[in-house]
Amino acid sequence: MSMLEIKNYSKSYGEGKKAADNVSITVESGDIYGFIGHNGAGKSTTIRAVVGVLDFTEGEIYIDGHSVKTESMECKKITAYIPDNPDLYENLTGIQYLNFVADVFDIGAAEREEKIKKYADKFEITNSLGDLISSYSHGMKQKVAIISALIHDPKLLVLDEPFVGLDPKATFILKEIMHEMCDKGTAIFFSTHVLDVAEKLCNKVAIIKQGKIIASGTMEELTEGHSLEETFLETAENIQASKEDDNE
Amino acid sequence: MNKNILLLKTLLLSTSQANIYKHCNDKKKKGKITGGYIGVFCLYAMLMGYSFFMCMGYGKVGLIDSAPILCALTISALSFFFTVFKTNGYLFNFKEYDMLMSLPFEPKTVAACKFLYMYIKSLPWYLSISVAMLIGYSMFSDAGVIVYPIWIILSLFVPVIPMLFASFIGFLIAKFSSGFKKTKIVQTILTFAFVILCFTLRFITEKFFRDDKVDETLENISKTTASIGKIYFPARWFSDAIVDTKISSMLLLVGLSAVLFGVLFAIVGRSYRSINSAMKSHAAAKNYKMTTQKKKSLVKAIAFKEFKRFTGSTNYLVNGAMGEVLVTIIGFISLIFGFDKIIGTVAPSAPLTTQMMEPAIPFIIYFFLGMMATTACSPSLEGKNYWIVQSLPIEKKTLYKGKMLFNMYLTVPFMIFATICFCISAQASVTDLILYLILGFTLLCFSTAWGCVCGIKHMRLDWENDIEVIKQGTAVAIYLFPNMFVVMGLVVLSVALGTRMDHRILTVIMIFVSSVLAILSYMRVMSLCRKAS
Repeated sequence: MSMLEIKNYSKSYGEGKKAADNVSITVESGDIYGFIGHNGAGKSTTIRAVVGVLDFTEGEIYIDGHSVKTESMECKKITAYIPDNPDLYENLTGIQYLNFVADVFDIGAAEREEKIKKYADKFEITNSLGDLISSYSHGMKQKVAIISALIHDPKLLVLDEPFVGLDPKATFILKEIMHEMCDKGTAIFFSTHVLDVAEKLCNKVAIIKQGKIIASGTMEELTEGHSLEETFLETAENIQASKEDDNE
Repeated sequence: MNKNILLLKTLLLSTSQANIYKHCNDKKKKGKITGGYIGVFCLYAMLMGYSFFMCMGYGKVGLIDSAPILCALTISALSFFFTVFKTNGYLFNFKEYDMLMSLPFEPKTVAACKFLYMYIKSLPWYLSISVAMLIGYSMFSDAGVIVYPIWIILSLFVPVIPMLFASFIGFLIAKFSSGFKKTKIVQTILTFAFVILCFTLRFITEKFFRDDKVDETLENISKTTASIGKIYFPARWFSDAIVDTKISSMLLLVGLSAVLFGVLFAIVGRSYRSINSAMKSHAAAKNYKMTTQKKKSLVKAIAFKEFKRFTGSTNYLVNGAMGEVLVTIIGFISLIFGFDKIIGTVAPSAPLTTQMMEPAIPFIIYFFLGMMATTACSPSLEGKNYWIVQSLPIEKKTLYKGKMLFNMYLTVPFMIFATICFCISAQASVTDLILYLILGFTLLCFSTAWGCVCGIKHMRLDWENDIEVIKQGTAVAIYLFPNMFVVMGLVVLSVALGTRMDHRILTVIMIFVSSVLAILSYMRVMSLCRKAS
């Protein structure tokens, strides 16, 4: 069952070049879908449109059959998003922020307590939850953002560069959590630069370059026995070479 | 819990200094928060004192029945004016937009909560005026007990309609600008244009209502407010509810506020995402070719960084450059229509001549240019980027010298232009012009250095939205209000003393005093820098 369907999505800023050009991706329940590309390739532009933050006119995006354009509330209720640089409320304590998100999703007291404790213990930040977020390191903020995303058992988890700033143990725990969620049927769509992680974690991958999807499919189909790094560089270079040929 | 209340509560908590105080272990930070609170309460007290004495004046001349409408109009005008400056920062393009919009909140809920947040944050200022005027009113009128709760309750609603109207203007500007590639530039120009239009309309309106010559100033103001009240119904409803205890007027004010609130946010909600998307997006040309680069001195490099920060934020630019824009326009107007016409428009009932007002020229100009010193908010505006200047080999004093240099670059050319314009139109002598230029310069030196003292002492880096430190920061408030009241006093003093002694001697004395103050403030900046290093 497809949990996320991006159909011919395009986005341009002003009259400039298209930041996303006719992007089409389908993420099924239980998929861990990696979205890889260079800096400025259009990953965040696509992700921000998926989670209902960025307005778009071209194409359609569906989450569990609901259109992001017309049924944004239904989509947001079953989605969780972790941005690359989480801008949390700095003057709230960690626990105040997590309670805010739990209130938004109407999570009962016992359930939120159990979940916050479970994940905060895993990420080893329980002792810091009473401190102001402004006193946290980038990694700690990222951990709070991750816990807030897991609090309501989302059907779709969207992560933008989730491993940036996390310590090795936290990275390992996050990967473990992603596997657990995937086993439960949650669809995970995330962007990353870390190709090793994507290779080990994802069952499907899409490569985006200059706003266009240049390759997508299951990991096996895409790599054909090579490493993801080799495939990524080769595919990206081939596209570049063919563009230069076209220009000549 | 209702989602609107939940979001509003969280927005308030997230910027609450009390919450920081409660959860912070840093004694120095706690001390700063306490100091900030004391400073702001002193400002509330000053505002209350000013409003109370204004009301007393009305009472003494037997015009106390005009006090409610004056109170409503003062609050309405202030709330409208300040909201125009703030609406862009509060409603649109705020830092946590991505986080909020990815949660299941309707766009109209986010916009409405942001508005209510802005309203609650400014309410203490309006209530200070209202409560002080209520005390004055109760002393001179035979108001019944019922008037007190009506006055207090309606005071909560009086700023709502002007704030909604200003927000709607801000929304229209943002929506129109979002259709352009250079969204921020268009938005800044339109905001400037709108504020200038408001100023122009204000003078035209006053001129229109003051055509009937009345000698008594207070009676004149009373008639003017009554005339404006005839047009601006909410102020009249407030007055009718107080003076005649009209329940229907009370219901009209409350009802209209609620209806307009609902309508506005239904409209704003529809375009909210597209406006914010446009504002948060940046078109990239990706066509840069490496060219010859220029080397700058460190202080100039910092000043240039400040310039880019200044022009990169609509909030900062509109609030920081408004005085410069207004003083330029007034300078042009004085050249075209003459200095006497400006005096006639600003103070039509006062028996003032060009000759009498001439010594006040530097202070009039300073009133506009010194209203906002970028040095007061610039230390706080470093925000999360503070690590850049902290980690670079820049001495604190060099950093603040760069910030002060930028403020001087920003203000001095406008001071020179306006002083020359005013002196030409007032037919001042060359000696006077030179003296006024020197006084203008020393006043700006003082405002720059004093702003920097306030900025360093009340630096706040953990803001959510730059408007919090530009418009509502403790540093800016502590710099702005005493400065504004003192300058108004200096205008009066220079006019009064100028008629009794040689105005050149007076200007020289003022140059000396402002130079001493500027030097002392500069020394204080250097001492704060040494402490911080």
